[in-house]
Amino acid sequence: MLNEAGFIDYELVADTGFNSSPVTKGVLFRARKPKDVQRRRGMSSNPMDRYDEFFSMVYQPGALDVKTKHLIALGASLGAGCRP
Amino acid sequence: MKGLTTEDMEKIEEGIRQKYTKVAISPEGNFQYSTGEAGLKGQNYNPEILKKLPGDILASYCGVGNPFSLGTIDEGDTVLDIGCGAGVDTLIAATMVGPKGRVVGIDLISEMLEHARENLRKTSLNNVSFQEVSAEGLPFQDASFDAVISNGVFNLIPDKVKALKEVLRVLRPLGRFMIADQVLTVKPPEDTRSMVENWAR
Repeated sequence: MLNEAGFIDYELVADTGFNSSPVTKGVLFRARKPKDVQRRRGMSSNPMDRYDEFFSMVYQPGALDVKTKHLIALGASLGAGCRP
Repeated sequence: MKGLTTEDMEKIEEGIRQKYTKVAISPEGNFQYSTGEAGLKGQNYNPEILKKLPGDILASYCGVGNPFSLGTIDEGDTVLDIGCGAGVDTLIAATMVGPKGRVVGIDLISEMLEHARENLRKTSLNNVSFQEVSAEGLPFQDASFDAVISNGVFNLIPDKVKALKEVLRVLRPLGRFMIADQVLTVKPPEDTRSMVENWAR
């Protein structure tokens, strides 16, 4: 639903344990407004913007959560000998 | 929301109004989880900030999670609290942003807003305002808030996508949306009547 509204960076963070009923649960979500909404909607042809868009899409929560994706990227960087 | 008639929407609003008019007097006994100070402690709100607010303000807390655990609220920020209820999170945010910041709490239930304004009068904060406004049509300019918080409210909004688009619109670029809420752990009821009748439960 956050995606449908136009948010790109969003994450289900945790359950709160505060449940209103036996069929609901309390949860915490966070989302961030993109730096440039127009650009994120594909309005820019600047290669760096397109790379930035690709980078943001890759880091969306999906089969893997954001933290796991970042840790994999960190591991790959270290494995490839990248320096900070 | 698709599939809901105007009559359904009115019934939903009436259900919410009935429940939260009672909650405006006191949250105690209206929820299946701890409210008031016990709720705030259970959700790990910052005790140093809670100390700055009188105990009877904290007693009106009935949130389902701690939106402040999701990111920072900085000094000087402008913050919108959607569905502020008695205003506990709004006043906590106002304490965090300090005199250079500004916090707006909105709600649809006038009794809750009355309680929020009463709570505000018990503090010395002068960077807070409360407005009777729907989340589906925010009367604020584009990109006017650094952060939007909400606690246990979005599940009650009939047109959630419309409200979320409004949140996106009023946030500044890179603005944070920090939300605690209730989600269903089972499939939503297929029968619209049952869904409408149970909306605010």
